[in-house]
Amino acid sequence: MTHILALALYLAAFLLWLRALLAGGRSRGSLPAWTAAAGVAVHVAALTRFTRTYGELPLVGLGPSLSMLALLTGIGLAAALALREGERVGIVLLPLAFVLQGTALVAGVRPSGVAPDFSGGWFILHAGLGLAGIVGVSLAGAAGWLYLVQFRELKEKRMGRLFHFLPPLATLDRLGNAGSHMGFVLLTLSLALGWAWTVRFRGTFGQDTAQMWWGLFSWLVMLSAIVTRGLGEGPAERRSAVANSLAFLLIATGYVLLRLSARPGAGFL
Amino acid sequence: MALALVGLSHRTAPVEVRERLAFPGDEARLALDTLREAGVEEVVLLATCNRTEFYLNLDSDAALAQVEVVLAESAGPLPRPLQRYLYRCTGDEVAPHLFRVTAGLDSMVLGEAEVQGQVRAAYQRSAETEPPMTDAVLNRLFQTALSVGGRVRSETSLGEGTVSVASVAVELARKIFGDLGGLQILVVGAGDTSERVVTALGREGVEGVIVASRTYDRALDLAGRLSGRAVRWEEVTRALAECDIVLTSTSAPHPLITRGTIAEAYPGGLSKALLMVDIAIPRDVEPEVGALPNVFLYNVDDLQKVSDETLDQRRTAAVAAEALVLGESQAFASWQRSLAVVPAIRGMRERGERIRAREVERILQRLPHLGAEDQAALEAFSRRLLNQLLHDPTVRLREAAKEGRAEEMVDPVRLLSGHDSQ
Repeated sequence: MTHILALALYLAAFLLWLRALLAGGRSRGSLPAWTAAAGVAVHVAALTRFTRTYGELPLVGLGPSLSMLALLTGIGLAAALALREGERVGIVLLPLAFVLQGTALVAGVRPSGVAPDFSGGWFILHAGLGLAGIVGVSLAGAAGWLYLVQFRELKEKRMGRLFHFLPPLATLDRLGNAGSHMGFVLLTLSLALGWAWTVRFRGTFGQDTAQMWWGLFSWLVMLSAIVTRGLGEGPAERRSAVANSLAFLLIATGYVLLRLSARPGAGFL
Repeated sequence: MALALVGLSHRTAPVEVRERLAFPGDEARLALDTLREAGVEEVVLLATCNRTEFYLNLDSDAALAQVEVVLAESAGPLPRPLQRYLYRCTGDEVAPHLFRVTAGLDSMVLGEAEVQGQVRAAYQRSAETEPPMTDAVLNRLFQTALSVGGRVRSETSLGEGTVSVASVAVELARKIFGDLGGLQILVVGAGDTSERVVTALGREGVEGVIVASRTYDRALDLAGRLSGRAVRWEEVTRALAECDIVLTSTSAPHPLITRGTIAEAYPGGLSKALLMVDIAIPRDVEPEVGALPNVFLYNVDDLQKVSDETLDQRRTAAVAAEALVLGESQAFASWQRSLAVVPAIRGMRERGERIRAREVERILQRLPHLGAEDQAALEAFSRRLLNQLLHDPTVRLREAAKEGRAEEMVDPVRLLSGHDSQ
């Protein structure tokens, strides 16, 4: 029930932002941000209950891990509150959290029943850092996409609802930059721990699994996005926004394709 | 007693007349003192750059005439007789007018918020003087007006958006740079609008102001007023490289800033965002500059478009604001009508209280054995009885008054309560 309540609060927060956008975009009300925060709080309670009930963290299996990813997305949005109008990336992140949580509920948030070595400290760190890294990627992607929209509004002098609703370019650039760096660093740590875990528990360095290839692909994409900012001519901020948007799109598409091709019952997300 | 208003505004008088009746500084208080000396005790003077209005609660038209004397003395000789510029309202017309003024519905720039603070200051000036120059009716009128102004701002979108060149420029800068603290602005040309824009940006934290003008003395003069620094005309390109915002307003017949100027200022390419606001006619900045990737160029037509869009939105919002004002005006009028029965109610209660006290005293004399506790109980009983007897007539009288039937109710009440004979 608490999972459904969290889902409803994410949807409500998104609809409130949408209403502000449709009303002209100038609303400075904090109700959507508080609603999203309530969603995060309820979600934390739901996953805490899951952990207490089943004795494992919600990091393994499609339902629990997607629910955890939705929660971390909500927390990523909360981190954006620190910047001027930064919380408005919620217009992208909240539907994402809603879809993730909705999919998790459809798949079922239930214990994975996998091998005990999936519940050790190393694995928890590996999976937790990986999920947090993906949230960084999402934040960078959302900020990048909104940056491009706001940039177009400013360039084409269309100072309408979107112009008033979206955060300043500087805010979106800072969010995107922070998100991509956070995503890259956390993914790097997650991959390193994953390999260490594989060597320790499986006795091998190489492992030909979908999640490993997706992790490696995501890491390379994020590295490229970060490097792109410093390369080439013209505005670095816009280049970075394009790179972050593409990176998010590639990583999300890669996940969906791998997920569709994964064997049933695989531990991968 | 009746509410009345006499005044003039941007709708009835040109600026040459309004500025002579602006009552700046202490003159407003002096005008109030003059009126008090002339016997006008309840009055509020609202004086802004767009209007001068006296709100009164008066016994006779003599007070209005006295206000017009004060206005005439303050204005001095005018192109036309003062009466031609003045308007007057009385009774139920006064509250809706003040509510519309406070909400910004009667302002020159529809929905402007500054007037609410001016109404508050005007009210406080009269209310806080010793003795106060506001009575219960004026207090209620202005407190309701301020509440209406607040509601219009919070419940409608009348005050949203920007309508002046300065405010549009500030909003653009905010949407590009976010925090404006520490940004540098280059002002090319020294006009009044430039000064207003720079002042508005300065309030938002823009710190470094560089002024360039073909006439160096004018640049020095404006730079002095804006706490910035002046540069010679030949140094404009170098100054361009230092700034984040460029504001141009010269009367040059051809563009002063071209793609070549930008290329010269930024030989390695423009790597940061540059906001250029060109309010000159003909334009100072070549339109092609706006095509550069990191340049956000706006001319006076672009700014006007934003202003017009905002005004259109405000006109739509004004419909809801007018409905709110109408509702509050009706509530105020209803409250004011209810005041008509106050003397009758007071008379009824005073007579009842006299009878109660007399009868209690009589019964206590007949029952001398009663102790203090029993006497107090009898006293309390008689008060409760009186209150319950008078409760329904009091409520019905107030309701009748709110419905505008005060006159038909007051006389019978006075007759029945024997108030006329007191």
